[in-house]
Amino acid sequence: MTRNRLVAVMALLTLAVAIASFIGGSVGALIAGRSPVALLAVGAPHIELPPGHPFVSLPITNTLLATWMTCAAITAVFVLAARRARLVPTGVQNVVEYVCEFASGFIEEMVGKEQERRMFPLVMTVFLFVLVNAWFGLVPGFETLRLNGTALLRSANTDINVPLMLAVTCVASIELWALRSRGFAYLKTFVDLRELSTGLRCLARGRMRDGLVGLFYGLLYLGVGFLEFIGHATRIISFSFRLFGNMTAGVVLTGVVLFFVPLVLPSLFYGLEALFGFVQALVFAGLTAVFAYAAVSSPQH
Amino acid sequence: MEISAEAAKLLAVGIAMGMGAIGPGIGIGLIGRGAMEALGRNPEARGPILTNMILAIAFAESVAIYVLVVAILLIFVV
Repeated sequence: MTRNRLVAVMALLTLAVAIASFIGGSVGALIAGRSPVALLAVGAPHIELPPGHPFVSLPITNTLLATWMTCAAITAVFVLAARRARLVPTGVQNVVEYVCEFASGFIEEMVGKEQERRMFPLVMTVFLFVLVNAWFGLVPGFETLRLNGTALLRSANTDINVPLMLAVTCVASIELWALRSRGFAYLKTFVDLRELSTGLRCLARGRMRDGLVGLFYGLLYLGVGFLEFIGHATRIISFSFRLFGNMTAGVVLTGVVLFFVPLVLPSLFYGLEALFGFVQALVFAGLTAVFAYAAVSSPQH
Repeated sequence: MEISAEAAKLLAVGIAMGMGAIGPGIGIGLIGRGAMEALGRNPEARGPILTNMILAIAFAESVAIYVLVVAILLIFVV
């Protein structure tokens, strides 16, 4: 059999297995009114939004366990890489150095050389944390191993606390960096009283036209500054909900696909989930870097 | 005609998600179109174009995610 024909036969077999699992599984059972084939009986997707407590008495949630796993994994990889470090890297050290160089170049492209030094630790940590959290959620056993009626382990990004914590940290860091770089003049982006005071001074001296124009623009700039403040504050919500929403939607989607077509098709969505985890990690870290650069660099009014 | 609370809730979830996905969908398409045009004009600037496209798509997608969160909240919490 030629190679092309072999590939075609394998593809057809895969398609046949997929369709068979669709017919024999839960959906086919619902349509035909019989019970599904034992191996393909997947329950209807059941989403629990708040994290569960697998050890009933201890206040340890399943997402907390997942974050511990993530921290242990990242620490282990970096410790392995740094142990007996050589000038010419090999093995694990080589891979870790490549990843760090790549991220460093990526950040430097966005923010320039001097700022990159300061932002690299936070941006890299956030990226690695979100990425490893998301990819650990794909390991078999997460959300399927159950203990005391709830999952033993659950992807950490699906608990609103973790994205919220990351968002608050990133936004606070952005503001702190801006204050450090530009001093208290940074607060002029929120409250700019120069035009207003100019207008009032003109009014006091009797120059009506200049005074009124200054007053108008002063109030306008105050409004703009207030909107700017609201925009900065809602970054916390947008960061956290972007990550939380994407990850939860991924979990729900995977559950629904497993319910509909138990074999073959979930592997496609598995790959999609891996891609989404990577993209969300990139976006979180990248947006932090971009906002920090915008806040740190002086404005060009 | 009386609508039960349950039916109203389900209707609200469907309408919210459906109408909420129109804007971001069109927005992401426009971003992709801009990126493709820029790439066609200047294939050498591939790196920055794609990076900025991903960032812009994340912004547009987050609006759809807000709607999704509202819908999930409506179903499971209200």
